[in-house]
Amino acid sequence: MRILLVEDDPDLSRQLKAALSDAGYAVDHAGDGEEAHFLGDTEPYDAVVLDLGLPKIDGVSVLERWRREGRATPVLILTARSAWSDKVTGFDAGADDYLTKPFHTEELLARLRALLRRSAGHATATLSCGALRLDPRAARANVDGEPIRLTSLEYRLLHYLMMHQGRVISRTELVEHLYDQDFDRDSNTIEVFIGRVRKKVGPDRIETVRGLGYRLTALEGETDA
Amino acid sequence: MTDAPAPEPAVVTRGSLAGRLIWLAAAWSILALVLTGLVLTTAFRDAATRRLESSLAATDIEVVAVTRVQGDYVVTPPVQDARTLRAYSGKYWSVVEADADGGFRALTRSESLFDFGLPAPADGPGMILAAPGEPYFYDAVGPDDQPLRIMAVARTLPNRRAPVIFLSALDRSDIDQDISNFAFLTWTALAMLGGGLIAAVLIQVRVGLRPLYDLGAAVAEVRLGKRQRLLGRYPSEIAPLAEELNALLDHNQEVVERQRTHVGNLAHALKTPLAVMLAEAENSKGKLGQTVRRQAALMKAQVEHHLQRARAAARAQQTHETTSVAEVLDEMASLLERAFQGKDIEIDWRSPDELAFRGERQDLQEILGNLLENACKWGRARIRVDAWTSNPGRMILIVQDDGPGLPADQHQVVLKRGTRLDEQAPGTGLGLSIVDELVKSYGGRLELGTAELGGLKVEIELPAVEI
Repeated sequence: MRILLVEDDPDLSRQLKAALSDAGYAVDHAGDGEEAHFLGDTEPYDAVVLDLGLPKIDGVSVLERWRREGRATPVLILTARSAWSDKVTGFDAGADDYLTKPFHTEELLARLRALLRRSAGHATATLSCGALRLDPRAARANVDGEPIRLTSLEYRLLHYLMMHQGRVISRTELVEHLYDQDFDRDSNTIEVFIGRVRKKVGPDRIETVRGLGYRLTALEGETDA
Repeated sequence: MTDAPAPEPAVVTRGSLAGRLIWLAAAWSILALVLTGLVLTTAFRDAATRRLESSLAATDIEVVAVTRVQGDYVVTPPVQDARTLRAYSGKYWSVVEADADGGFRALTRSESLFDFGLPAPADGPGMILAAPGEPYFYDAVGPDDQPLRIMAVARTLPNRRAPVIFLSALDRSDIDQDISNFAFLTWTALAMLGGGLIAAVLIQVRVGLRPLYDLGAAVAEVRLGKRQRLLGRYPSEIAPLAEELNALLDHNQEVVERQRTHVGNLAHALKTPLAVMLAEAENSKGKLGQTVRRQAALMKAQVEHHLQRARAAARAQQTHETTSVAEVLDEMASLLERAFQGKDIEIDWRSPDELAFRGERQDLQEILGNLLENACKWGRARIRVDAWTSNPGRMILIVQDDGPGLPADQHQVVLKRGTRLDEQAPGTGLGLSIVDELVKSYGGRLELGTAELGGLKVEIELPAVEI
C-alpha cells in the first residue's frame, strides 16, 4: 500500500513517516501544497494523509483540484481546526475522513486502515444519466462535474433510481429498498427524500408518474457523458 | 460590590417628538383662534352698540325739536312714536336737570316711563354738564329692571338759565342677546376649527413620523434575527441614520470575524507542536514520556476550552444571524456518514424547510456535529433526528441513536467538562459538555433521555424563527 503524506511541520512529518512505515506502508512525503498536488496527480497512491494548513497552496485547494480532475483516491485530512464548520469545508472539498490535531498515532493508523478497507470494497463502474454522474466506489455524485452532497439515504435512493433509470419505480419498491427494517414505512417518507434529492440534482430529472411512482430520466438534449 | 449603585439606564425617555410637535402646533392654533374670537366679538359688539346709539340720537333730535320753555316749565309734547307712549315699552326719553345730590330731577318724560325717573350715571352728571351739546352714553337699570343704554346731552334752552339734560334711553336686552348669540356662535365655530386643526396636526405628526417608527421596528427585527441589515427606503432625514446603523452592524460582524480568525490561528499554531509532542511522547515509554503525554493532553484541553470561550464571547456580540436547520442537518449528516462509512450507519433527519435557528451557523454546526458524532460513535446502524417549531420563537431538536444508551445516573456526569465515559472512543470527550454550554449560551436547554430506538436521546430547545 502506498501512502502520500502531506505535512509541512518537519517534526510531525518525521514522526508520522516513521509510524506509517512501521505499519507497513510505503510512504512518500510532500512538504507543501504544490508538491503534494503534483505527486497526487502523477503517482497512483492508495490513500492520502493531507494536512490543511500548507505553504504555497492550502490543503483544501489541493483536494478540490484532485477531485475536479477526477482523482477518487481516499483522503484523510489532518487539521488543527476543530470547529465543525472547518470540517464541513474539508468534506465539501472531497475529504473522506478527518482527524483533529493533536491526535494519537494509533488513531491515525486505525482511521487509515478503515479508509483503505472501504475503498477496496466496491469497485463498480460509474453510473450516469445525462449530466448526472454517480461513482459507487467513492459514494459520490456530481452534476456536470459539480459535486453534490448526499446523505446515505439520499445516496441509496438516487443509486437505485440510476440503476433503473427510465423505468417507473413504485413507492413501495423504494421504501423497501431504502429501509431494511420495518419502521417508518409511511409514504410521506419517500416524498420527503424525493424532494430533497430533486433539490440537489435538479427538479426535472425525477418525474412523478401519478399513481405509479417515480422515474429518473436524462434532461432533454442531454446525452450520457 | 453588593452596595454598588444600580447602573443608570442608557436610554431615558424624555418627552416625545410627536408630543412636542403637537403641543407647539396646538398652542399656536389656540392662541390665533382666541385672538380671532376676541376681535370678531368686539367688532360685533361695537357695531351693535353703534346702531343702538344712532337710534338714541334720532330720538334725541325728535325730542329736542319739540321741546319748549313755557314760563318756569319745560314742555315737550308727546313725540309721535308708539313706543314712547306705551308704559315700559323699552323706549324712553326725558328732559331733566341735575339736582343737588348728583341725581336727576325729571322736568318732562315720555309716557312710556310712567312715573319712573331715568337714573343718572354712577359718577354723577358732572361729565355731561361739562361738555354741553356732546352726547354722553351710559348704561343703567330702567323700569321693570330693564337694562338700558342711555344718551344724555346737556343743552341750554332759550328763556331758561339753568341747562337741561336731554335723556334718550333704549332697552338694550335685544342687542345684548344678539351679541351673546353671536359670541356663542363664533366661539363654537372657532372651537370646532381648533379641534379640527389639532386633529389634522395629530395625523400629520403620526404620518410624518411613521418612518421613524418603521426604523425602530426594523432595528428590532435585526435584533430578533429576522433580518441581517436594514433594508427599504427611508426619507432623506433618517436615511443617514439607517446607513450608519448598517455600517455599525457590518463593523460588528467584521470584529467578530476577525476575532474568530485570530483565535483559529492561535489554535492552529499551538496544535501542531502539541501533536509533535504527543507523538514523540508515545514513542518514549519512560517517565518523561508519561509526563509529557499527560501535560500535552491537559494543554490540548486548555486550548479547546479557551477556543470555546472566545467563540462564546464573539457570539454574545451579535444575534442577527439565522441558520437553516435543514441545511446544517444535511451537511452534518452527509459528513458524519462519510466519516463513519466503515460502520455503515445512516442518519435519518426530518426538519421543515422553513425552520431556522436564531444564531450562528457555526454554532449550530458545532451543536449538531458533536451530537451526531456521539450518536455515530455509540449507535449501531441508525440515527434519527427530528426538528420542529415548538412554541413561537422556539424549536425542539431531538437526536436519537440505537446504541446502548446511558443510565440515568450518568447523565449529569457526561455534561461536565472534559468527561469521557470511554477513554477508547475517538474524539476529545468534550462533545456533550460543549453542546450543553453552547445551548445554554443561547438561552436553550438540553435534556438526556432514552431513545425510542433504544439508545441515547438528546433533546435540545433553541431559539428559532421561520424563514
